[in-house]
Amino acid sequence: MPDKANTSSTAASLTPASETAEEFDDESEEESKIRVRFNVRGLLRVFTADFYCCGLQQQIRASSLGSKHAGEGDDNDNWTRTSRQLLRPADQMDLTETELSEEIPKILSTENRHLPQNLVIYSFKEGAYIPIPKSTNVVTIFECEGSAIHIESAEAKAQIARDGVDPRIAELKSGTQTGATTPDLIDRPEGTPEQGEGEGSEAGGEVEVEGEEEHKEVAVGTTGGPKKKLTNQFNFCERAALTCSNPSRSVETQTVPPPRSQFGANVVQWHIYDSYNEDFDRQTREKEKEMMKEKKPGLQKHAELKRGDAKNKATEEFNRKYLQKCQILERMVNQNIFDDIAHGWLKSFLTISTLTILIKDFRYYEDPSDEFREDDGTLLPLWKFTYDKCKKMSVTDICLNTHYFDLYAVCFGSFEFIKQVSEGCVCLFSIKNPSFPEYRITTESGAMCCDVHKKYPYLIVIGQYDGNVCVYNLQMGTKEPVYVSQGVNGKHSEAVWEIKWGEDMQDGEINFYSLSSDGRVFNWVLMQNKLTLTTIITLYLDVPPVCGPDGTMIKLKASGTCMMFHPTNKEIFQVGTEDGLIFKCSTAYSSKYLMVYQAHYLSVYRMDYNKFNSNIFVSCSGDWRVKIWEDMRNDPLFIFDLGASVGDVKWAPYSSTVFAAVTSEGRVFVFDLNVNKYKAICSQQVVPRKKNKLTRITFNNKLPFLIVGDDKGTSITLKLSPNLRLLCKPPKKQGWMDQHTLQVQKLDRLLSLVRELPEGGQSTENDPVDDATSN
Amino acid sequence: MSQEVEETLKRIQQHKGVVGTIVVNNEGVAVKSSLDNTSTVQYAGLMGQLADKARSVVRDLDPSNDLTFLRIRSKKHEIMIAPDKDFIMIVIQNPTD
Repeated sequence: MPDKANTSSTAASLTPASETAEEFDDESEEESKIRVRFNVRGLLRVFTADFYCCGLQQQIRASSLGSKHAGEGDDNDNWTRTSRQLLRPADQMDLTETELSEEIPKILSTENRHLPQNLVIYSFKEGAYIPIPKSTNVVTIFECEGSAIHIESAEAKAQIARDGVDPRIAELKSGTQTGATTPDLIDRPEGTPEQGEGEGSEAGGEVEVEGEEEHKEVAVGTTGGPKKKLTNQFNFCERAALTCSNPSRSVETQTVPPPRSQFGANVVQWHIYDSYNEDFDRQTREKEKEMMKEKKPGLQKHAELKRGDAKNKATEEFNRKYLQKCQILERMVNQNIFDDIAHGWLKSFLTISTLTILIKDFRYYEDPSDEFREDDGTLLPLWKFTYDKCKKMSVTDICLNTHYFDLYAVCFGSFEFIKQVSEGCVCLFSIKNPSFPEYRITTESGAMCCDVHKKYPYLIVIGQYDGNVCVYNLQMGTKEPVYVSQGVNGKHSEAVWEIKWGEDMQDGEINFYSLSSDGRVFNWVLMQNKLTLTTIITLYLDVPPVCGPDGTMIKLKASGTCMMFHPTNKEIFQVGTEDGLIFKCSTAYSSKYLMVYQAHYLSVYRMDYNKFNSNIFVSCSGDWRVKIWEDMRNDPLFIFDLGASVGDVKWAPYSSTVFAAVTSEGRVFVFDLNVNKYKAICSQQVVPRKKNKLTRITFNNKLPFLIVGDDKGTSITLKLSPNLRLLCKPPKKQGWMDQHTLQVQKLDRLLSLVRELPEGGQSTENDPVDDATSN
Repeated sequence: MSQEVEETLKRIQQHKGVVGTIVVNNEGVAVKSSLDNTSTVQYAGLMGQLADKARSVVRDLDPSNDLTFLRIRSKKHEIMIAPDKDFIMIVIQNPTD
């Protein structure tokens, strides 16, 4: 039994149900009871709250308690005493010793004494007050409908019948056949309901249950079979145990934060465009790869091998880009340097304010003084193009690129037999960069002539002084020629003087013609990996054979110096020779000339077909003369004496009556037959007379300037003043006529005047071959 | 850089009035310069930005177009910029020299 202090504490707190089932000790005056009532259906009702008053004698002896503790001398309680004294309120009643020791009983009873005893209500029916039945002390705290049913009830039986025999029940039945009268619904392990109480498990389990209908207690242990303990059918209870709760603990670790980066970008249209393009490229590449795999699995190794070269390729590409940008920059630097040339003359004519609005470009400069001259024009030197290595060589040929109007090739070599150079050079200059050539080709011997292919402007063929010819592909680089003539029989025996690309052959083979002073014209065809040559014609002089050293007769050959192909009829070509003859030949006949002109007294240096009328051509020679010829007419139409050896003559591309010539005295002559039939309209000293000779001249096809070359390796661009490039004005009534027709008409008019001259002699003008091509 | 490129750069450097040449890689680092360190870094940084912007302008107007060259005429100099995807070439010239 618990001691007194223990009892009081239990009484004060709410007692657990299991403990209340026990009887309290004798000292308590009233028993605290909990009445637990079950009904048959398992309805559980717990009636409590009858603790209105506990029959506990609570003796409050504060002072004695204090003294008792003080006597024990417990240090731990010191602080409580002092705090108690401090907390004593001022108005606390002082009690005497007897008063303090007086016992004040307090009773806890089950009866509610505050409940009214005799309540009445007036009944109208009876006309009197009638007492109301006394209200009950019972307060329902908890009510719960159970789902369990008694095993013997009709419902349970029905359920068993429906479900079949519950094996558990069957077992139970067999186990309890001897002693138990009523089997239990619930299995319980042995001894469990009683173990929680402080007393012995088996004997002490007196549970006082106050039921209304049944009160059954099953004795345990004695009756049960060896394995099963039979308990009361209602004897189940819930127990709760409070285990010590695990103290909550917070543990923190810090991990390495995931890497973060900020990204910001603006997307603009071209980003999208680029990424689409990239994607497209990737897709096409993948497709190609797949195609390759499907087609030739054996090729894969090859592709892998190639991958090693990818790096080299990238570097090459990089270098190419570097070079390109370098070239752009160099051009720009040059543009700045030659800024004053571009329109330097303007400064003397215009004020500064108007200068600022001018576009810096040479093309828009016109010589204003032309307005005050009648017919004459001037040439304005623009830029000089030199290459350091070629300063001692003379310009042997100037050839315009057919695709880029600003690009032209210059051949460097020597015309002098005694002063031959050890190696020649061909430079491709762009007028955008006067200080340095775009491409440089070095040849073994002096370069004498070159030609750029019309259809493939990157193909350039070069004829050399030693008779060799070579073809360069500018796209492949300028280090090595793609084709070169080989062997003694595979080349000219003397210097190549003129070289011209021919029309592509019927099976598309590229070919060119070359003329040498050995009197032969060769046709070269570019085969897969070599050049093949055929002799088109060997030029023999129309003189009887002369005696050779040991009695042989030698037919004299005519040393060709210049050659030109008919612009429309590609079979026809003309060759000028050292002894002043001009042969008109055809590639169709190798032994016969169509015509021989007794043109000059000294070697013919250059011939040129008129750009508007292919029946007219001009020739120039070392005998100081420039002559204009009509096809198949023995005598020239015009003869001009320029007072010095004429190195080159060319028709202008823009006018049918304009041509220009250069002399060895360093003068440039420009003629316009329409303006003056007897005199040049421009005669200008371009280089110092004593020091330099002018060798070659050419018109630019697009821009109004000339390029002349001298024997010191310099090529000079000369701007033609407006008077030198007068265009035809259409007659008033025929304003629709285009320039080409007008130019042709202009020349025809001029020719008709000349033909009427008595010296013209022969009236037959055209041979049947050229009839078709004229006009 | 190949020998040909080096030669061309050298030649540009020898032209009249050329103050300096700078080659900047795509990271904005000057890989080749004929100027002193400070101005090289300054030019490389500033011109890179300008070239990017200029390129962006050109390409915004027409995505299939591209910038090939850019030049700035100032009182003292002319700054010529040839931008590429992978590098920028800058030449500074004093045109009045």
